[in-house]
Amino acid sequence: MALKTPEEFVQSLADLHLQIYLFGEKVDDYVNHPLIRPSINCMAMTYELAAMPEYEDLMLATSHLTGEKINRFTHIHQSAEDLAKKVKMQRLLGQKTGSCFQRCVGMDAVNALYSVTWETDQARGTDYHERFKKYLRYLQEEDLVADGAMTDPKGDRSLPPHQQPDPDVYVHIVEKRDDGIVVRGAKAHQTGACNSHEIIVMPTIAMREGDEDFAVSFSCPANAEGVSYIYGRQSCDTRKLEETDLDVGNMRFGGQEALMVFDDVFVPWEHVYMCGEIEFSGALVERFAGFHRQSYGGCKVGVGDVLIGAAALAAEYNGVARASHIKDKIIEMTHLNETLFSCGLACSYEGVKMPAGNWQIDMLLANVCKQNITRFPYEIARLAEDIAGGLMVTMPSAQDLADEKIGPIVEKFLVGTCDTPVIDRMRVLRLIENLTLGAGAVGYRTESLHGAGSPQAQRIMIARQSNLNHKKELAKAIAEVGKPWEKSRVKKPTAVAG
Amino acid sequence: MKVVYCGGCNPHIDREAVAADLPQDDPDVPRGATVHVSGCLRACASDHQLVAEGDGRAGAGAEGASAGPERPPVIVVAGELVDGVPTPSSELAAAVTRKLKE
Repeated sequence: MALKTPEEFVQSLADLHLQIYLFGEKVDDYVNHPLIRPSINCMAMTYELAAMPEYEDLMLATSHLTGEKINRFTHIHQSAEDLAKKVKMQRLLGQKTGSCFQRCVGMDAVNALYSVTWETDQARGTDYHERFKKYLRYLQEEDLVADGAMTDPKGDRSLPPHQQPDPDVYVHIVEKRDDGIVVRGAKAHQTGACNSHEIIVMPTIAMREGDEDFAVSFSCPANAEGVSYIYGRQSCDTRKLEETDLDVGNMRFGGQEALMVFDDVFVPWEHVYMCGEIEFSGALVERFAGFHRQSYGGCKVGVGDVLIGAAALAAEYNGVARASHIKDKIIEMTHLNETLFSCGLACSYEGVKMPAGNWQIDMLLANVCKQNITRFPYEIARLAEDIAGGLMVTMPSAQDLADEKIGPIVEKFLVGTCDTPVIDRMRVLRLIENLTLGAGAVGYRTESLHGAGSPQAQRIMIARQSNLNHKKELAKAIAEVGKPWEKSRVKKPTAVAG
Repeated sequence: MKVVYCGGCNPHIDREAVAADLPQDDPDVPRGATVHVSGCLRACASDHQLVAEGDGRAGAGAEGASAGPERPPVIVVAGELVDGVPTPSSELAAAVTRKLKE
């Protein structure tokens, strides 16, 4: 099977007839819905760039299973270079869409499951890894999008899954049959869920004794019976329903999240990759999170590139591009953005080859990467808003600009530098608004904070791997802690003349 | 037996102590055996591989079996991992010794 074209991808998505609900109604023609379509365009870009020779080095990889060229989003990393190319590919896609393009979660899920299924088999004598490789081959050959579904709604966070008043707040097994399992529950905040052909479910936390039914990993088609999606709202989303492109800021592209519901979904054994092995649930969570924390060192940097460019244009259109403080702010934004990229690359180049044969990022550096992501985009956004000025949130609407009577007034007073059309100035300001507090801010800001785990989750991982005892020993050695001290050798300093 | 150290910039374990506790001149350890000792999980001593490429022992990673049984064993210690298996630091040398004699 050849790589899909963007058009084939969109058609294949339409053919799934997913059960999607938005504003309390079922959406049948979801691929043409104005709120949803921008997110589909993002996903389609992962297919479009893969077909372009000038992006092939990043977008394509060679399957270790078949030796065929595949989309990198379905690839199992085979080297540190592969890990770095993943980050660069994500930066590229962030640049081309100015948005979250959603396909990373599936890539990170397959790479985490690859080693965990292998290790489970070694310890338990199961055959998850072979099952999983067969499924992976299917994803690669059909060039499919898989949603990596980890985050459960979690209910009362103080209680373990099996003690929840309503156990459905964690996806769990409700029945084991000869031919498979039946699962129930939900996954929250599912990025790109409605743009996926397949769902890969993983546990959301390290499970303990008593939680065996919640230690479950499996795959199923996105249109499996019993699976439905409740589409998540985004800031300013209804602007996409207006008959104008200007006020959206990013007309063609956008992110997507949904609440994914499993209402007694049957999964055949061949698509089950964890079933009660609580001791491996923590490793799966950590590895998926680690890969996803690396991802942000690419995707958010690409969106950051767009925002920095927009801020520089806004300064240019305002006639202040040469002001030293503006130049300095652009430098600061660039410094922050490239620091994030450095973290993404560092955890890639310090990656290791796992016993299963795949390559995994350095966990400490991946968590440091994501911890910075929880902060730097906010500062980059603040500086962009600073440079843009208040007009980005006080500007009249596209309808005003188009109005026969009011339009000329808007044009007269919104003029910047003489050679810049007012419409272009407004477009750039709307783009900055989109990314800093509009629909795009869902991806660039809040997703940066909470996606792939909230800040505290990274700090726990950083603490665990910080090697503090070694640091203390280093300090002791330099300070000569524990060395006998001879008072008698202490002399008062001699005054130096002149 | 050959011991290959990483550069030692981030040791989570006492590499020298691990090496010192490995068997010397033990007839049960195959000649030409190699132990890569890295201080942390980055496994620099073994070129970032948690299981050595070309190690002849069956089960030595997903691809280890293809190298052939006649080759001497190569064991990787990377922080508290021995050939990718979590192992407390106090048991690293014993675990490596067991593997060398398998």
